[in-house]
Amino acid sequence: MLTKNEDPPHGPSICFEMVGLCLNNITILQDVSFTVKAGNMHCLIGPNGGGKTSLILSLLGQTPHTGRITINWIGGTTIGYVPQVLDFDRTLPITVNNFMTMICQNMPAFIRTRKKYKDIINNALRLVSMDTKGERRLGELSGGEMQRVLFAQALIPFPDLLILDEPGAGIDRGGAKVIEEIMLVLKKQKVTMVWTNHDLKQVRQMADAVTCIHKEVLFSGTPDEVLTTERVFQAFGATSSGP
Amino acid sequence: MPVVQRLAESGWLPESLKYAFVFNSLVAALILGPVLGGIGTLVVTKRLAFFSQAIGNAALTGVAIGIILGEPYTSPYVSLFSFCIIFGMAMVFTKNRTKMTTDTLIAVFLCISLAIGACILLYVTAKVNVHVLDNVLFGSILTVNELDLNVLFVISFICIFCGLRFYNRMVLSSFNPNLARVRGIKVIFLEYLFILMVTIITVASVKIIGAILVEALLVIPAASARNLSRSMRGFFFYSATFSTLSCVIGIVVPMELEIPVPSGGAIILVAAFFFAVTTAIRWLRRAYPALGKI
Repeated sequence: MLTKNEDPPHGPSICFEMVGLCLNNITILQDVSFTVKAGNMHCLIGPNGGGKTSLILSLLGQTPHTGRITINWIGGTTIGYVPQVLDFDRTLPITVNNFMTMICQNMPAFIRTRKKYKDIINNALRLVSMDTKGERRLGELSGGEMQRVLFAQALIPFPDLLILDEPGAGIDRGGAKVIEEIMLVLKKQKVTMVWTNHDLKQVRQMADAVTCIHKEVLFSGTPDEVLTTERVFQAFGATSSGP
Repeated sequence: MPVVQRLAESGWLPESLKYAFVFNSLVAALILGPVLGGIGTLVVTKRLAFFSQAIGNAALTGVAIGIILGEPYTSPYVSLFSFCIIFGMAMVFTKNRTKMTTDTLIAVFLCISLAIGACILLYVTAKVNVHVLDNVLFGSILTVNELDLNVLFVISFICIFCGLRFYNRMVLSSFNPNLARVRGIKVIFLEYLFILMVTIITVASVKIIGAILVEALLVIPAASARNLSRSMRGFFFYSATFSTLSCVIGIVVPMELEIPVPSGGAIILVAAFFFAVTTAIRWLRRAYPALGKI
């Protein structure tokens, strides 16, 4: 499942130049400049409300930001996005399979899932150990199970750039491990990943590079270089909310 | 039509089908039922139940404007469509520009529409008997003619085409607009399109169900279907079935039993009956989980 038919994918590099964002006269981001190398797993850390999600949305082209964000595509141009949450009525009779079908095809999910997508959906759900829960209603899933489903949808079609907005929030240990394993496989395949994360231990273990955002870039570099106790304390200790 | 008439005369079909207006209204019911039931699942999923009520109220104002402008009071379609579409589009435009919450915005627009309607109605009563408006408000099968059926055919075709083509994308847009945009879905366009679909099908339903009650048929069958189903398939097909049965029973039963009630009222009462039964079933399933397997 985690391979493309063609040559091994190679993710793009991304260049943020003087990115700024101001909404309702409140400055969210200011002069944000850093580079995400091709095929890197790049983590964004920072205190809550520091602008990580806004930067992700700017990268997706969904905010009226200033400055420039350049994505230098090398292989394909497919973006996978794992959002924080889905906003829906939890009593709706929509199953995990229905949701995945809606992601894949135009034919309404209430008619049927096309044969060619059934295997793709099953494989993606199997990767996150959710294949046995395909007939569960979305509203019945725990926070962690929902995150796994959201992760699974981002793998269809296979991404060249994977953008994750705090996929670890509310996830159980088992789920986190499953997602970590898949991300390591994606890393080997040189998929570029931009990942907002609160778990500094995970960042140290997995990330190639890390950037701390609090309106502006506080520090950026490899985890070994920049994640010093002093800097982390400076970034998170200065605000009331910790990592 | 002649075939149906002959079958009715020879006793194979109910005698009332001999009459053109009965036949027309039943055809309308058979078209409207599945379309309203299907769109209703989207209305409930997107949490826009009150929006359809606002459009229903706008329809009343549209009729009043039509009569003032000299359109026939039984089918003032130009004014109806024009006013309701402008009204619906203005509502979405304002929502996107102001980021106001949907319920506040709908309440504001609903009141504005009613206020305009109330002012214009004063002039309308000078032109026509005010009881004519009862038909618009609560529906009347007696007034359904071929023009209404043709309008209904065209509108239903547009709604079915757009609904089937964009159903998944409309649901995804409401779940997470950012995710939808990343997947290439034109969220704003689909928002306008959906509101347009609800608006035109509401206007096309005014003759049968009535302006005030159309909203109910967009919401109650879908709510009943939600009580019974565990997947989108059940949700959609139960909703379409309940809606169609409500329309047909609501038209046939009062006619056969000669009960003088407006068709819209009867249709909604049947839909409400389905809702009560399905709610009871859901409650029983929860109270006695073994029943859920039956």
